[in-house]
Amino acid sequence: MSTPSSFSDDDSTGRPRLLLVDDDEVNLMLTAVALREHGFDVVEVSGGASALAALDDTTPDLIALDALMPGMDGFQTCQAMRALPGYAHTPVLMLTGLDDDASITRAYRAGATDFFVKSTQWSLLIGRLRYMLRASRTRIELERSKFKLARAQDLARMGSFDWRRGERMGELWLSPEALHVFGKKPGDGVAMRELLRMVGAGQRRGLLRMLNEVVAHNAVFATDVSVTLADARQRVVHVEAEAEFEHGHGIGYTGVFQDVTDRRVAEDRIRHLANFDALTGLPNRRQLIWRTERALEHARRLGHRAALLLIDLDRFKNVNDTLGHAAGDELLMEVARRLRGCVRHSDQVMEGALEAAGTRTHRTLEAVGRLGGDEFVALLPEVTDDTDSERVANRILDAMREPIFVAGQECFVTASVGIAMFPRDGLNLADLMRNSDVAMYSAKTAGRNSSAVYSPQLAGRGREKIELESHLHKAIERNELVLHYQPKIDVRAAKMVGVEALMRWQRGGVLVPPGDFIPLAEETGLIVPLSEWAVREAARQAKIWQQQFGFADSIAVNLPSRLFERSDLVENIHQSVAAYGVPHKAILLEITENNLMKDLHNVSLSLHRLNEIGVEISIDDFGTGYSSLAYLTTLPISELKIDRSFVRDLGITPQSSAVVSAIIALARSLGLRVIAEGVENLRQMDVLHRLGCGVMQGFLFAKALPPDDLATWLHETVLPRKAPWIGAASDEPAPRVLGRA
Amino acid sequence: MTTPAVSETASAPASAGLPAAGVLDADALARLQELDPAGNAGLVARVLATYTNSLQRHLAELQAARRNADVQGQRHVVHTLKSSSASVGALKVSTLCGDIERKLRDGLTDSLEEQFEELAAEAARLLAALRQASTPNP
Repeated sequence: MSTPSSFSDDDSTGRPRLLLVDDDEVNLMLTAVALREHGFDVVEVSGGASALAALDDTTPDLIALDALMPGMDGFQTCQAMRALPGYAHTPVLMLTGLDDDASITRAYRAGATDFFVKSTQWSLLIGRLRYMLRASRTRIELERSKFKLARAQDLARMGSFDWRRGERMGELWLSPEALHVFGKKPGDGVAMRELLRMVGAGQRRGLLRMLNEVVAHNAVFATDVSVTLADARQRVVHVEAEAEFEHGHGIGYTGVFQDVTDRRVAEDRIRHLANFDALTGLPNRRQLIWRTERALEHARRLGHRAALLLIDLDRFKNVNDTLGHAAGDELLMEVARRLRGCVRHSDQVMEGALEAAGTRTHRTLEAVGRLGGDEFVALLPEVTDDTDSERVANRILDAMREPIFVAGQECFVTASVGIAMFPRDGLNLADLMRNSDVAMYSAKTAGRNSSAVYSPQLAGRGREKIELESHLHKAIERNELVLHYQPKIDVRAAKMVGVEALMRWQRGGVLVPPGDFIPLAEETGLIVPLSEWAVREAARQAKIWQQQFGFADSIAVNLPSRLFERSDLVENIHQSVAAYGVPHKAILLEITENNLMKDLHNVSLSLHRLNEIGVEISIDDFGTGYSSLAYLTTLPISELKIDRSFVRDLGITPQSSAVVSAIIALARSLGLRVIAEGVENLRQMDVLHRLGCGVMQGFLFAKALPPDDLATWLHETVLPRKAPWIGAASDEPAPRVLGRA
Repeated sequence: MTTPAVSETASAPASAGLPAAGVLDADALARLQELDPAGNAGLVARVLATYTNSLQRHLAELQAARRNADVQGQRHVVHTLKSSSASVGALKVSTLCGDIERKLRDGLTDSLEEQFEELAAEAARLLAALRQASTPNP
């Protein structure tokens, strides 16, 4: 005997569950025993009503039903079962007598799956039941896979169709999913003519020609068709079909429709993203390279010239830094718009048409693209000579003359343009790019806002210098510049009273000293963005130190005189300190005496305005310049810095002591602070101290320190009062001008 | 034809030792036993007991149906007895029930009474044999 049946198991792998209905207890018992013996789980019930009741508790895989029973007989029971939800397809085996033909017919009519003449040869019954079970499971699988297919097709916006040859346009049948593709409901009929009407008139004629051609040869059919649905939606439908044959004759087609609109849109978008700059919409580097290579191929084949113009905005970094990146982006968009107007720009290249030799379609390659940052390229696929290129370059420079409104203010942007021409200045893309770059830098060096045609002489002027210059140009963007800070010490109070910022260039792991790049920066004009960066960076650092250890002194930044000439200097400094929320006096500007004297007239206005907003001015290298001291009385100067050359000789030559004491006296009488730099030993400190200069700067105290090291230096040297110079100065009985902190 | 099943199958080896051996068809009994080869479940005895009860009940029903001239009731009884008798190997009863069922269905009345009598007699014999066979084995 088998174990009692359990109805909770998974039906596909366990014993099949069978509901056995027979009013005769002997048959019921025997059949149940026989079936259990052969691996079935059997629920026995003795009548139709109890069979229906049993279905509330159990879901059998199949049902064996005695046909003739008192009360509700097998036929009625079967009919009632079929009406129950979930039992439409459960296999039902009707058990009948041997000679009961009428029952057989009635059994099928009542919805029985099959009939079986009662027999005590159990193997026959088992065989039949197993067969029914297999068939039922196959059917369930089929149903499931049909359902999955329909669902998958629906998700893929795909549906199948059949088409049969016939009168006029033949007969078309669409699955519900296919109807959905065309915006129809299941059950809607769709005629071929109606589908064709959805295709635009322009495309329809070609499509019909193709359909006729394909059908005539029973060829495979695959194409994308743009359709307009009844609700005016535009969709792209992919059609794919192959012929069906009967007795060797094509009788029609079977295939699928798929709505590929989204994919098309996505593909277009991907193609656009891959080839066009997201910000400006101009062709990007990749697209430019592709176009240039095509243009060069064409030029090579037809023996004409082509030109590459490299366009770099002058001082774009300033805009980005002072007005913010959003404003910078806005500006680039406007620049892009203007540049586009300077050439016969084509967004779309007629790729197929390019191959047709002799046509002018290479003209469609002409474009302005963005390489990245503020660098643009104009590709001129055919030029006669340099005049052509220069004409475009001038157009570009002209286009920049009008101010650009960004972030609510007028910006003036200029550009430098470098021109390289194929084949003279390079036979391939790489050479042309490099040489247009060389030309562009020469334009920048020559004072910006101009263009330059490449010439080998340009390249000859020291490759290294060009390279250095080119790298220095990018140093700010790449965050390669750093400021180090040398403390200014009040030796009597033994405390730090400020720092001087000194620029360093971290170039590929090497710290380049200022002497190696500041002259070059001065020469090329890069000193302007470098200095502006330094002011911002100092303001940023002042804020960090303020939060770290309550730093409330000033950071001295060296500025060249040409920066003082700029009308926007005050505004720049204001922006910088405001950006980091530090007071104006956190920045102290140092200008060398030489620089100041060179351009006194232009500088003085700036100095007054700076003074008004609270930025103090210190005269660097004081005592070495052309000494018309009159300016000291009229300019708003706060501090004199005694040149290191005098300090070096202190205690060695009496002249230096004389000069230093004269400077100190001068400063005192004019009410200026005085500070000595380059103090390297206690002897120098001692002399300065005695002469009345209490604030000093030099290796004796500290060299220029990376920003993070300054706090450490303060904690380990100044606060514990450990340095040798602290004792030396404090022991002096000199009058204390400043109180000890 | 009229040879009782008792003597006919008495020597069938497969059924030897079974309580109803000799009363019922040996092949049918053998098939029954195949369902419970070791005899652990006492299947044969249980089936025969069930059959005995069923037979008695149906005979009573048949008598009532005949008294009331309830043809449908009569048909149902003989239909049921036909297949359950065949299952346990009471072939004579099964055959008689089959004949009667066919006649009732087709509306034939000739010698129907005799067959009812014959069925009653045969059933009585069978019941006696079954009772006798089951007595030694409680």
